[in-house]
Amino acid sequence: MAACTVYSTQSLSTNCSISTPSKTQLSFHQKQVVFYTTSRRNSKRGSNSGRSYVITCAASDQQTVVIGLAADSGCGKSTFMRRLTSVFGGAAEPPKGGNPDSNTLISDTTTVICLDDYHSLDRTGRKEKGVTALDPRANDFDLMYEQVKAIKDGIAVQKPIYNHVTGLLDPPELIKPPKILVIEGLHPMFDSRVRDLLDFSIYLDISNEVKFAWKIQRDMAERGHSLESIKASIEARKPDFEAYIDPQKQYADAVIEVLPTQLIPDDNEGKILRVRLIQKEGVNFFSPVYLFDEGSTISWIPCGRKLTCSYPGIKFSYGPDTYYGNEVSVVEMDGQFDRLDELIYVESHLSNLSTKFYGEVTQQMLKHADFPGSNNGTGLFQTIVGLKIRDLYEQIVATRAETAVAAKA
Amino acid sequence: MATITGVSLSSPRVLFNASGSLKNAHAIKFALPPRQPMRPGGVQMGRVLRIQPVRAAPDKISEKVVESIKQAQETCADDPTSGECVAAWDEVEELSAAASHAKQKEKDSDPLETYCKDNPETRECKTFDE
Repeated sequence: MAACTVYSTQSLSTNCSISTPSKTQLSFHQKQVVFYTTSRRNSKRGSNSGRSYVITCAASDQQTVVIGLAADSGCGKSTFMRRLTSVFGGAAEPPKGGNPDSNTLISDTTTVICLDDYHSLDRTGRKEKGVTALDPRANDFDLMYEQVKAIKDGIAVQKPIYNHVTGLLDPPELIKPPKILVIEGLHPMFDSRVRDLLDFSIYLDISNEVKFAWKIQRDMAERGHSLESIKASIEARKPDFEAYIDPQKQYADAVIEVLPTQLIPDDNEGKILRVRLIQKEGVNFFSPVYLFDEGSTISWIPCGRKLTCSYPGIKFSYGPDTYYGNEVSVVEMDGQFDRLDELIYVESHLSNLSTKFYGEVTQQMLKHADFPGSNNGTGLFQTIVGLKIRDLYEQIVATRAETAVAAKA
Repeated sequence: MATITGVSLSSPRVLFNASGSLKNAHAIKFALPPRQPMRPGGVQMGRVLRIQPVRAAPDKISEKVVESIKQAQETCADDPTSGECVAAWDEVEELSAAASHAKQKEKDSDPLETYCKDNPETRECKTFDE
């Protein structure tokens, strides 16, 4: 029995706040109808005063939607998170007044937690045992499962903080159930119990060539690093990466694959990218983006009479495929946007984007033009995935509201 | 300094870099006790004012990166396939990523701006028209 039911199709932009028994704050969207009863929920939330009652809104009462994002370290998870939370509305920031080395990001709608916080071995511990952070033995999946499940059920948790600077586990921080919880890190889909809690999952699959190029870009300016050290680090981590991280992509609902371009023969600079958005078919509340005609196989070069592109141009393709035994739809973009009109032109030819208005993808891309990948498929597909997740969230909430209303009737 | 009586820097992780002039200025700003009563839900706890701790400075992490690379190279000299060697290079990756994040953070935020976003009523954050 829920303490209150909010029904009306809820969009991410509404102001429905989580209240605690001690501080009741409410701000309702005008169309929302709220029923509440003083119910058992009180005891569950640890409030024992007979007078106090809880009015909980969307966030804690209608369950948190949980999204998993998997990728190796240094593969653009933070950029993706910034794009994602921007699409959901409002900037995500570290918790105010907390541990300055917290890995958590919080916005009005979304909380992003980093799964490194579930390391069971700190840096010294891993060194002594000779295991990497990629190794499941360095991670506490029981705690990860318990806490993600609790948040999904509307219960706040004290989550540990792994301090990336000191390599130690810091005192925990309180995580309250948000509307959307993103768990990002090395192993969101590794443990089957955690995986089953995910409403949607994404895997960022960066090819070896591109990973190398990105890490050179990231580390070459850093003192102490050289091409050799960057190469050595990638090579040393590779066996564990292939054993524990890479296999997770078979479970992902969407995979963003980042590869070197095919537009320039033998290009290995890693500047121009070919990016593939692999979308699983038959996922609840997720209908894949397509180009021109759903289910057909299409190759499209938008550059021509209507649109002029500079070298090496842009090439799209789309079609059905299978991926680890699953039916998928793949949209691929090779090349990069040099001008705004190219982006708008491409957006207008893609279907099922789940935008709220014409040009929303372009608007989002322009808003964050300074983020890496804003002129290529990484930025485009990350933005699209953000829109799809927003849509998924709204559908899940609407479905729950219908169920709740039906149950009451 | 009599002016900071009652001010406790409660976090051990407060790092002020003596060589960085910007950070010095920042430290001076922090040392001023607020004349205005704090907002409810602000950072005042009883009579002790908690000053928000500052994130570790990027150059501190850079030193750790340098150190970790040296260590990895030494560890791997004996046996390049050992768990210790792999873990050492993993530490290099972790610190390199942390260094890059710290730099990004610093680029994104001006310390005074950040402080004033949380404490707009304080004297040092007020703006006046002439």
